[in-house]
Amino acid sequence: MNALTFVLAGMLAAAMPFLLAALGELLAERSGVMNLGIEGMMAVGAVIAFLSVHHFGTHTLGFLLAGLAGAALSLVFAWLALTLRANQVAAGLAIGILGQGLSALFGKSYESRTVAGLPKLSIPSLSEIPVVGGLFSQDAVVWLGLLATLTIWAALRFTKLGLVIRAVGENPSAARSLGYPVIAIRYSCVMFGGLMAGFAGAYAATVYTPLWADGMIAGRGWIALALVVFATWMTGRVFFGAVLFGAVSLAQLAAQAGGVNLNSQLLASLPYIVTILVLGVISSNRRLLKVNGVASLGKTYIP
Amino acid sequence: MTSTLNRRNFLRTTAAMGLAAGFAPAMALAEDGTLGITLVLPSPLGDVGWGRALANGLEPVKAAYGDKVKVTILENIMEGPDADRIMTKSVADGSKFLIAGSFGYQNGALQIARRNADVSVLHASGFMVAPNFTPFAARNYEGTYLLGMAAAALSKSGKLGTVSAFAIPELITSINAFTLGAQAINPAAEVAVVWVNSWFDPAKEQESAKALIAQGCDVIFSNAQDTPSVVDICEKSGAYVCNLNSSMKAYAATKYLGCAATDWSPFFLEQVKAHFEGSFKGHNAFLGMAEQVEKVLDWSADIPADVMEKIKAREAGITSGEAPVFAGPIAKQDGSEGVAAGAAMKDEEIVAMDWHVKGVTTPLPN
Repeated sequence: MNALTFVLAGMLAAAMPFLLAALGELLAERSGVMNLGIEGMMAVGAVIAFLSVHHFGTHTLGFLLAGLAGAALSLVFAWLALTLRANQVAAGLAIGILGQGLSALFGKSYESRTVAGLPKLSIPSLSEIPVVGGLFSQDAVVWLGLLATLTIWAALRFTKLGLVIRAVGENPSAARSLGYPVIAIRYSCVMFGGLMAGFAGAYAATVYTPLWADGMIAGRGWIALALVVFATWMTGRVFFGAVLFGAVSLAQLAAQAGGVNLNSQLLASLPYIVTILVLGVISSNRRLLKVNGVASLGKTYIP
Repeated sequence: MTSTLNRRNFLRTTAAMGLAAGFAPAMALAEDGTLGITLVLPSPLGDVGWGRALANGLEPVKAAYGDKVKVTILENIMEGPDADRIMTKSVADGSKFLIAGSFGYQNGALQIARRNADVSVLHASGFMVAPNFTPFAARNYEGTYLLGMAAAALSKSGKLGTVSAFAIPELITSINAFTLGAQAINPAAEVAVVWVNSWFDPAKEQESAKALIAQGCDVIFSNAQDTPSVVDICEKSGAYVCNLNSSMKAYAATKYLGCAATDWSPFFLEQVKAHFEGSFKGHNAFLGMAEQVEKVLDWSADIPADVMEKIKAREAGITSGEAPVFAGPIAKQDGSEGVAAGAAMKDEEIVAMDWHVKGVTTPLPN
């Protein structure tokens, strides 16, 4: 197996923690709420999923509970930011730190335990093509993640629900005067974000790296957050950015293993550099940024 | 007098109780002559890994001294001001024997040693020495050399790989010894390196191991990972795997090659004894097989008997000092002379090693 095959086969799985978290955050931000607590929600999702898989052995239950835990934590955030109208940045950071603390607490006695991952589900015949075949052999969560990307893209673009969410993020007062319950819609979007962050954490701790170690999310929540901004709040670009990031981070490891004569610190920073460059270039179109940017993002809304 | 629990009284009482609680341990320690031993660790304490090896090293101390010592382990302490504060507090609370379990604690721990002449400090993997401050490190390379011999014997492709944390001399030395050991069995053996550039990122460590396996490496050396990330993925991918510090055989039932383990207990026992006798003296403790600190555990049953004989012979040679690991001639990666024939590297050269031996295929980051 050469480096290209390795990268192609692994990049979707590598992208999944970023993609799932970023999709959730995308929806929350589209409704006008900036949730900086993603990292903590991923950490809580990760530990809850790990504990359930460790004790009950089923990933389905693990993901379900992880999603619920993420959503529960985001509910606390939403209550602070939407009902009490606290500053979204401060509330998000606080909830994020709380999440990381909770995760360390719950996982205390499971440090460096391992569980079984998920089997790969292959598309017959497609997965046997040389070099690119690995792309068509992925675990169930990757397939569901792709489906979720498509669904969210379509929902935001073509459905009335998507239009309402965008309107709430764009101009909450106008949305309210049309009779839409702004706060309730924002609550649901934030909780959807928490749910997805919980899934992302569950994927990281029970499928991608099926072991528990405190702090294993290691900043992936922040990368997901940055992806949403760099992708100018567009679903397709979030997907593209996440996969690009996953692919480059695998490619730099493959390059090192293959003995490429490049500084490893430089190689390690490549995923960040490439993602920022590529997404920066495509989002340098000011008109596009203005069209896609969320006007009321991060602003406290008082009806 | 009747005391009423009003707000003012309540505050006064609780404050007094808090003060009493704060002072109590220090007073108790001073009175009954118990030695407080505090171990400070940079990462969470798991079942395996660097922190576990240090913590286990204190078990025989507890067994030997019983009630005369009180061991406290503080884990997951970030290097920097936070660590300084926590170490200072533990000394203020009565600990007279401090083990600073990470390189980054050096400056804070050294200051504590200078301020408190009656406190003995051991510092992991540092280089500063003071009258009551001893840096200690294990000669991991002695173990990884033997693991390299076993790795070459079990590799079909002759390509070995290592997932390594940071390109610092301690880790470079381990890789070089691993490579030299492999070449002692198969002169054509090669070692590819992936630097993770992180002490702790399980996901990236697993990706690195997968990248190595994808390129044909069939034995992987997990160099300084504190979690079984690499060991776990190797078992699942069918590649042999070995690691440092403490055995992870439980995570790789069929593919575990062995562990270059450190048993700190002989050293800790000796130093605690010295503290009790008042003879603790700061020195540079570089501990290997001769001191029974470095040892290889859990050898795989798949290693052929004739290779195992060679390994045991070399182990005896390293322990006695007759056959040191870095004995010349050793060629550098680019083919130039690293160690001349008939010479052996000195300790100060080993701890500062910043070049790879021939056979390591990945260039060293500069």
